[in-house]
Amino acid sequence: MAIKTLSIKGTDSRDMAQQAHAALADFQPKLLLFFASSNYERPGAALKEVFPNSKIIGSSSHSEYCNSSFSNGSVSIMAMDAGSVEDVCVRVVENISADPDLRATLNEMHSYYGGEEETLANYERYVGIVLFESSAKVEEVFMDRLGTATDLLFVGGSSSTADSGESLVYADNQSYSGAAVLAILKTVNGYDVLKTQSAHILSERKLLVTKSDVRSRTLYEFDHRPCGEVYAEVLGVPQDKIQDYFVCNPLGVVADGEIFVRTFNEIQDGGITLHCGLPEGTEINVLKIGNIVDDTKKALDEAITYQPAGVINFNCLYRTLEILNENQVEPYCALFGRYPSIGFSTNGEAFFGHINETSTILIIK
Amino acid sequence: MAGQIYNMIQQIISQRAKGNVVIANSVRTKMYLKGIAVDKYTAISPDDAATVQKVREVAKEFGIVL
Repeated sequence: MAIKTLSIKGTDSRDMAQQAHAALADFQPKLLLFFASSNYERPGAALKEVFPNSKIIGSSSHSEYCNSSFSNGSVSIMAMDAGSVEDVCVRVVENISADPDLRATLNEMHSYYGGEEETLANYERYVGIVLFESSAKVEEVFMDRLGTATDLLFVGGSSSTADSGESLVYADNQSYSGAAVLAILKTVNGYDVLKTQSAHILSERKLLVTKSDVRSRTLYEFDHRPCGEVYAEVLGVPQDKIQDYFVCNPLGVVADGEIFVRTFNEIQDGGITLHCGLPEGTEINVLKIGNIVDDTKKALDEAITYQPAGVINFNCLYRTLEILNENQVEPYCALFGRYPSIGFSTNGEAFFGHINETSTILIIK
Repeated sequence: MAGQIYNMIQQIISQRAKGNVVIANSVRTKMYLKGIAVDKYTAISPDDAATVQKVREVAKEFGIVL
């Protein structure tokens, strides 16, 4: 077996790591990817102690998925051996709010595999994972820079927290705040990437962002008019009621038919803050939220027409809360129970850019 | 003059993708997310100076010489 998945509840990180070690006896993982409830202290270091020869990356989490289960206070682990992942290159970019130049880092990562020519010539085998520590709130800027520094696909999400503990990302035996963990996997049988959101275009009317501040994630104007006024007009509701529609009617950048969701935060300082900045010049549509289970099933069934080695689901925390609220956890998890899979509830998802209210999924063949 | 923005966008995509269709589509998506509505521009679109400048900056970011 090339990939094994585990869901563990330990008394502490050391106990969790020992349980993982026992469950993975006779298995030599090249890479351990884990999502640990923030209740656990230094889970990466504990795992590194018992798996010294494996690359280890992970993120803190609010709640965890593993195969057909959903839990809190647990650690979901995906162990990949040489049957699925030939090699892994991991780098950590610290202090991401300082807008680091990623070219040197990416050059180094490409060089690890023999240079960019090799990775791009074998594009179907190389794929990136990006794990953001979410407190910096600069994922959209980082993803923009990453997308100009490399043409390889990066999929991932931003850390979250449970009731206690810190938001952190992990690489080998270290924990990081305000950082991004990058991993390029050289897969054996290739990969697929899937992005699914239960959001559909409500109005075909395109709204042009004419005033915004990407860094503060604040939107001021659509079509040279106050954005709240235009948003109310599209929905046909009074302007003083727009906040009631923020959850059900987010915004979306539609790129060649693919929707990239941007959710609202709050009305503030003459504008509306979002959970992802929108650059001026962007055209957006107002969206409506649909049924998460139905839309996810459709997306998975269309994309995964084979038995995958493993599936990694970066599922927005909003979506987790919605399926909990709608008592849909069981049918949602059953969809992923069809594959060896892990996931966690993210504070933002990554694929080309930073996205909201979405599930980004990496499928290892 | 018309069509300059369209031509610049096409050059960025083709130079960066070097014939790889998947990368070409990726570059298109990245440009949308940078605030350039790729499909909006055709060979007869007027040459809005601010947009021309923005596309030039994007080209530079991608390491493309136009």
